[in-house]
Amino acid sequence: MSILIIQILNSLFYASVLFLIAAGLSLIFGVMRIVNMAHGTFYAVGAFVTAWLVGRAIALGVPAAWTFLLIPVGAGAVALLGVAIEPLLRPFYRRAEEYQLLVTFGLLLILEDVIRLLWGGLPLSADPVMDVLPSIRFGGLIYPGYNLVVIAIGVAAAIGLWAVIYRTKFGVMLRATSQDRRMASALGLNVGLVYVSAFAIGCFMAGLGGAIIVPTQTAVLGMGIDALILAFVVVVIGGLGSLQGALVGALIVSFVRTAGIQFFPEIELAVLYLIAAVVLLVKPTGLFGTA
Amino acid sequence: MDKPTAVDRRKFLGALGVTVGGTGLAGAGLVAGPQLVKAAGEPPKGKIPDTPYRTGHMTFFTSPAAVLGEPSYKGHIMAAEEINAQGGFLGKRKIETITADEAAGTDANVKELRRMKLEGKIDLFTGIISSGNTPALGPVAEELSLLTIFVDGCTDFLFDKAVPQPKYTFRITNIQSADGITSAIGTAQTWPQVRRIAHIHPDYSYGRNAAEHFTLALERLLPGTEVVSESWPKLGTTDFTSHITKAMSANPDLLYTAVWGGDYVAFYKQALRYGLFDKMKVATTLALGVAPHAIGKDHPEGVLAGVHSNYYFTYPGGDRWPLNKEFVQRYHKRWNEYPNFQSEGSYVTLYMLKKAIERANQLVGGWPDDEVIISQLEGMGYDAPSGYVYIRPDNHQGYKDAVIGFSKNLPDYPFSTWDPNRVITIPIRNITAPPSWPKPGQGHNESTAAADWIKKTWPKATG
Amino acid sequence: MLADVSRAQPKLLLFAAAAVVLILLALLPSYISLYQTQLLTYGLIAAIAALGFNLLLGYTGLLSFGHSAFFGIGAYSVAFLLRDAGIRSMELYILIGLPVAALTSALFGYICVRHTRIFFGILTLALSQVLWTLTYKFFWVTGGSDGLRVGRPTLLAGMLTFTGRDAFQRFINGYYYYVLAVFAICVVIMWVIVHSPFGKALQAIRDNETRAAFLGLRIRRFRWVAFLISGTFTGLAGILWVPLNGLTTPEVLYWPFSGEIVFMTLLGGFRNFTGPIVGGILFTYLKTYAVAATEYWQLLLGVVLVLLVMLLPTGIVGAISATAAKLRWKEKPA
Repeated sequence: MSILIIQILNSLFYASVLFLIAAGLSLIFGVMRIVNMAHGTFYAVGAFVTAWLVGRAIALGVPAAWTFLLIPVGAGAVALLGVAIEPLLRPFYRRAEEYQLLVTFGLLLILEDVIRLLWGGLPLSADPVMDVLPSIRFGGLIYPGYNLVVIAIGVAAAIGLWAVIYRTKFGVMLRATSQDRRMASALGLNVGLVYVSAFAIGCFMAGLGGAIIVPTQTAVLGMGIDALILAFVVVVIGGLGSLQGALVGALIVSFVRTAGIQFFPEIELAVLYLIAAVVLLVKPTGLFGTA
Repeated sequence: MDKPTAVDRRKFLGALGVTVGGTGLAGAGLVAGPQLVKAAGEPPKGKIPDTPYRTGHMTFFTSPAAVLGEPSYKGHIMAAEEINAQGGFLGKRKIETITADEAAGTDANVKELRRMKLEGKIDLFTGIISSGNTPALGPVAEELSLLTIFVDGCTDFLFDKAVPQPKYTFRITNIQSADGITSAIGTAQTWPQVRRIAHIHPDYSYGRNAAEHFTLALERLLPGTEVVSESWPKLGTTDFTSHITKAMSANPDLLYTAVWGGDYVAFYKQALRYGLFDKMKVATTLALGVAPHAIGKDHPEGVLAGVHSNYYFTYPGGDRWPLNKEFVQRYHKRWNEYPNFQSEGSYVTLYMLKKAIERANQLVGGWPDDEVIISQLEGMGYDAPSGYVYIRPDNHQGYKDAVIGFSKNLPDYPFSTWDPNRVITIPIRNITAPPSWPKPGQGHNESTAAADWIKKTWPKATG
Repeated sequence: MLADVSRAQPKLLLFAAAAVVLILLALLPSYISLYQTQLLTYGLIAAIAALGFNLLLGYTGLLSFGHSAFFGIGAYSVAFLLRDAGIRSMELYILIGLPVAALTSALFGYICVRHTRIFFGILTLALSQVLWTLTYKFFWVTGGSDGLRVGRPTLLAGMLTFTGRDAFQRFINGYYYYVLAVFAICVVIMWVIVHSPFGKALQAIRDNETRAAFLGLRIRRFRWVAFLISGTFTGLAGILWVPLNGLTTPEVLYWPFSGEIVFMTLLGGFRNFTGPIVGGILFTYLKTYAVAATEYWQLLLGVVLVLLVMLLPTGIVGAISATAAKLRWKEKPA
């Protein structure tokens, strides 16, 4: 029984991170109609920046408990990166989707090597953050307390994002721009500002995903590429441009993956793509997406 | 086929020549090789050109495998610098190195090897970490008539199937099947009471090979073992939490894992949080085989810490084997870190080549042809920092006694290292198939010659 | 004067130009090193793959991110034929491999062409990934991550074999001509397809789907056939590729390889017939020299890609023909 609970918690943990990445991807697509192939790499940058900051802080003697605050800093750094990069993407908003895919694919290649340039080939870790919280015992097994915090952050992010989009004026602007850019502009909205903000928020989410996961793993080169394909599967299942889609998709992907690992270890890889293919065949816009 | 006879376990291990010793002691594998031709003292014969000797070194400079790849490059460079300080090969030909990133993918690596030879005009190709690349590059090297000494890429497949009669291709580090068998022997020696085994391995040929040979060996060394859980995370996975939970749910006595590099670092950190190490013993093939400083002191102690059966820098330790002590000192001075088995492998590669060139020169004078150099490499024994290395003439594979140790935190080092009192050495000839053993496809369809050899010749232990 | 000639007999000029290029390509091996010959062979194979791919992108307006699937199917078919049936003849590889690639394209195409734009792309990506995972997972059949070895084939129905001394050199040279011949045939076939009524219909569908439907064109059917042809061409490239490479691994099915096919088509230009050819050859050289030149080859390729999309969106051939058009425009009598 306790194994079941732990696997459920594991799935929720994984889903939280997936949700953050996928929601960012979906938001950017929803508002700007851009599929950002470099999104996974933003997640990686979040992980690396946070791990690096934690390493520096510990070296400077900062007590471990304070390093928790570095997580939003890492995410914020990625948001800033997004703000810096967005102007380069502007010429492509009106162009064919193919070009956007390719430009962001080129961005992926560039950023992957920039990460390597800045931080080298060895994995970076940020365990001190994780050690701050004790492991919880139940039923003879233990579960790291930090993972529960990650789940909490995931839930908070989901609620927060929903609140921003559906309960604030800014959210209205976002939704208006995503539904009809020209009309929104005609009504006097500063579309350029909305775009930059949406992109920054999307990048913040990806960076946050990287920042919260790096204490449990390490930041390794290439982590962005794997994350991207998973995020894709999530938004395919959930629907590009939909927040609930990202949430539901993340939960589905995560639980199926865990079930696969627990019961059918051989098909771990294939099952995700099969689900994505099936969803695409039945409802190509995803469970919650709109064409 | 004969039924395997039953044998007492202790006798079995004794027959395998397993010794457990301290790092300061010479183990079974340190028989000093006969010093044959005193070529080092003799001046070179004949006229030697002073054109540079160009080498190509391909290894992982990017990706999580870089923790294994960069040390390979560093060992190579250090050897080249030392040899060049004496004027180069035969005192006249300095070593030049061009590099390439193995992470570019097998396809690109094949193209790059061809380019290095046809355009870059290299005389020697070395490096390679991944088992996926040696079977692809070996045949290409043969095709190009390019002298090639692989540092790793240890898969049995290279000399079992891909290049069964190598002429130009060599490989210096121990063969892959030795890994699984070494871990099995280490397990049987140390934890003879384990019966329920869980497996977590990266989902590719290395993981599968390690699992297969471990199981084959262990079921003969320890009666009644069973596999209670299996997980095959994709190579490059960073989230092992579900795999860890699954393994724990099966209540095993021992977890065996071939996860390595950056993946292993993520794995053990996550496993710690779940209390895995308190619930079962853990045996690994490559845990401490990476650049030593990559495994921090948070790594649990008492884990059977494999080093790909090859080498860990603290063994042989002390003053019993000065070759290693000096090598480690020089390496640390040069690179400000400690060597791993790939550094030692690539370092030894250039020195064994040097010895072969010198001997060949004594035989024929002038700069020797590759054929003569190859003839000297075959059957060559060499005293390396890790011990005695021997290149078997039939399959051009390097053999040295297998070692495995246990993780421990020592005050001398800021990272997890080996328990100096519990190093296990196994003579390599007792855990690899002999030269005449038929390869896969020649009368059997096992995955490796070693697997067939175990099935046909190893007895089963009782008690 | 030249303008008059080119206006009057454009086709003749084009054929002449093509013939000249072909002759140059045939003469090249005598003047360049073995390595360059081999590299050029890879380039021609890439050009065939890109040519097939562009039927779908440039002429039908569908961006597929899963063409690695067909390339891989072609390559693995050859490997299986060698391993399980002992076949060494290049002609048999093509004769048996092509229908396999065609069948796969037909199947995938049938599933994919019901959708368009981004969903089409994602679906092709997902399907090729499924194929990749199957190849990776069923390692006892496919050799898994180690892949399968393929030795040197015999060419021209067994007349040319490559063993013995200098076999490698003779093979590289012989194989170059073989691939060149197949390449020339592919170019001619694709040219005919693109200029046929079928080809025109595809372009009509690409330009304005609604109007094409109004004209009575069965959109889905046409797209499906285009997909089929496109996948078959790319599959042929895979068949030709594997004897040269000596090995096939699941890498060739993985999605970044599809990305490379897209990259090379864009490099040359997807709005022209010759664009993918130029792109395929150029990209082969670009990637090879990038990997050799620097550890940061990904950065280099990324920058090239971004600059390409920003400055030369119609690709190199597109840019050249645009400049040529401008010059011709200037030449016209006032």
